[in-house]
Amino acid sequence: MKGQSDGPVIRATGISKQFGETVAVDGVSFEVSRGETYGLLGPNGAGKTTTMRMVSGLSPLTAGELTVAGIDVSRQAREVRNILGVVTQEDGLDTDLDAKSNLTTYGFIAGLSRKEAEKRADAVLMFFDLTDKADGEIDYLSGGMKRRLAIARAFMTNPQVIVLDEPTTGLDPQGRNRVWQELDTMKQAGVTILMSTHYMDEATALCDRLAIMHHGKILAEGAPDEVVNRHAGPEVAQVRVSNGVRQDVVGWIEGAGFDYREAGAIITVTSRNGERPDLSGLEGVRVSYRSSNLEDVFLAMAGRKLTDE
Amino acid sequence: MNIAAPNTYLAGFRLRSITGIWYRHALVLRRNLLTSLSWYFVEPFVILMAIGIGVGTLVDSVDGVPYAKFVTPGVIIGSAMFHAIFECAWGGFMRIQKGVYETTLTAPVSTREIAMGDLAWSMTRAVLTAVCIGTVAALFGWIDNVSGVGVLLAAALVGMQFGALGLIFAALSPNVHILSLTFTVVASPLYFFSGAFFPISVMPDWVEPLAWAAPLTPSVHLARGFVTGDLGMSHLYSALYVVALTAVLFPIAASLLRRRLVK
Ligand SMILES: Nc1ncnc2c1ncn2[C@@H]1O[C@H](COP(=O)(O)OP(=O)(O)OP(=O)(O)O)[C@@H](O)[C@H]1O
Ligand SMILES: [Mg+2]
Repeated sequence: MKGQSDGPVIRATGISKQFGETVAVDGVSFEVSRGETYGLLGPNGAGKTTTMRMVSGLSPLTAGELTVAGIDVSRQAREVRNILGVVTQEDGLDTDLDAKSNLTTYGFIAGLSRKEAEKRADAVLMFFDLTDKADGEIDYLSGGMKRRLAIARAFMTNPQVIVLDEPTTGLDPQGRNRVWQELDTMKQAGVTILMSTHYMDEATALCDRLAIMHHGKILAEGAPDEVVNRHAGPEVAQVRVSNGVRQDVVGWIEGAGFDYREAGAIITVTSRNGERPDLSGLEGVRVSYRSSNLEDVFLAMAGRKLTDE
Repeated sequence: MNIAAPNTYLAGFRLRSITGIWYRHALVLRRNLLTSLSWYFVEPFVILMAIGIGVGTLVDSVDGVPYAKFVTPGVIIGSAMFHAIFECAWGGFMRIQKGVYETTLTAPVSTREIAMGDLAWSMTRAVLTAVCIGTVAALFGWIDNVSGVGVLLAAALVGMQFGALGLIFAALSPNVHILSLTFTVVASPLYFFSGAFFPISVMPDWVEPLAWAAPLTPSVHLARGFVTGDLGMSHLYSALYVVALTAVLFPIAASLLRRRLVK
């Protein structure tokens, strides 16, 4: 059967998307294997949504090749949408219907029988802990509930591949945690996930591999800790400064050729040579070290290519 | 694997897309049944009473037809038009804005099927309102021919035709202010110059051909033919004109919708 072939579930080869003069995605290549969770990270406008819309068969490619489960997206976009579950960046809920009807009508349109759609909606509502909101007006749901309902909708057809554009943006920490758990359960069940996020901890917690995008290109790719190690080194230094010495400290760091980011009284310093930055020459301030994370990768890149307009 | 059933197609349309969208609209109607009744029933009923009886006492008859009987098909067709435009222009615009169409497209649905599903529903709405008003008119004896059932056919054609026109406005309007022109600049003038309330022949000679070409006029003529039972070739031509207009408007609506949704 089609879609059960070996090899990567999603294979993008040099895909590009142009809107008039804007090059939103610029020759991107990546592969996602069966059961893998693959993350797209990058600042606003990096091209994450555009990439995911192309994968979902919602936006025609300007150039490149893209297959999902062996099906060519450019030629058979409908077939691809038959396989995928898609959660768009906006919830896209139907406010003229209650929560459960949002699920059943979607399921019915997607091809379930009315009876199957009912059964499946009950199961999905239960899984996403929304059963007591089944009859609720969409407008009265909290942001987190709406988001979870939008994710639940994508699971109506029990898809084995799911595309999630910023699943937890706008949720409080509890809401995010909950979505993480739910997605993790899906992961354990073998679902392949392509997702985007602005949260480094989310990418670290969920993604097997990730790509950092900027200006429509992939700048770095790999397992989260691999990417961190390669681009920010194992450890970063943090310097606590008072306003009096700030300028001197910054001057010293710049002189030593390190990348740094100022946030309040803390200056975070990364080195470019894959080792922990040596700040022993810096006197009169407290320096501490911690393991690097994805945030530091962004910082490190900001010193080089990630410079925003 | 995915648990959705295999797709069945007819003339390139995936059937479930169309029935599914129709089903969604029907659910919305069922959810808002009481408020919807005012739309389907009360408002046109009030117009029918005010004009049929009110104006009818001043105007004896038009071309030998009692005024209430003359105006009944016009009110039915006018209501059918407003329902279709409201569903597809206003409703369609809201579904674009709220991402409802976008969500629908994440299922294996095409923009053409979305347009077709909406048209199927605007036709249903048009027929429903025709049934409501027609029943009342029949009780008053303003529809007393068996052929009067034919107004439902006329209403169905109007539902499709103005559904397509409504979707065009929905897809083209950048905001609700421009969208509202659909009602003020398009629907209302069409209604009042469609021959619903007075025969086209009373208008200045140079306006007459324009009035006949206007999209709603032939449908009022057709419906009136059914109500009076006085049907001729001109009614067949009217029906064909409406069908032809719809056949032209539908692909335009579908491709404008595509331009708006698929980027
Ligand atoms: N329909 C469109 N028409 C014109 N330009 C567009 C369109 N959609 C996206 N773009 C542009 O393409 C670029 C990439 O946008 P995209 O939405 O893919 O970014 P993103 O990484 O998802 O950003 P965010 O984190 O803000 O969601 C941006 O410059 C954006 O302005
Ligand atoms: Mg985005």
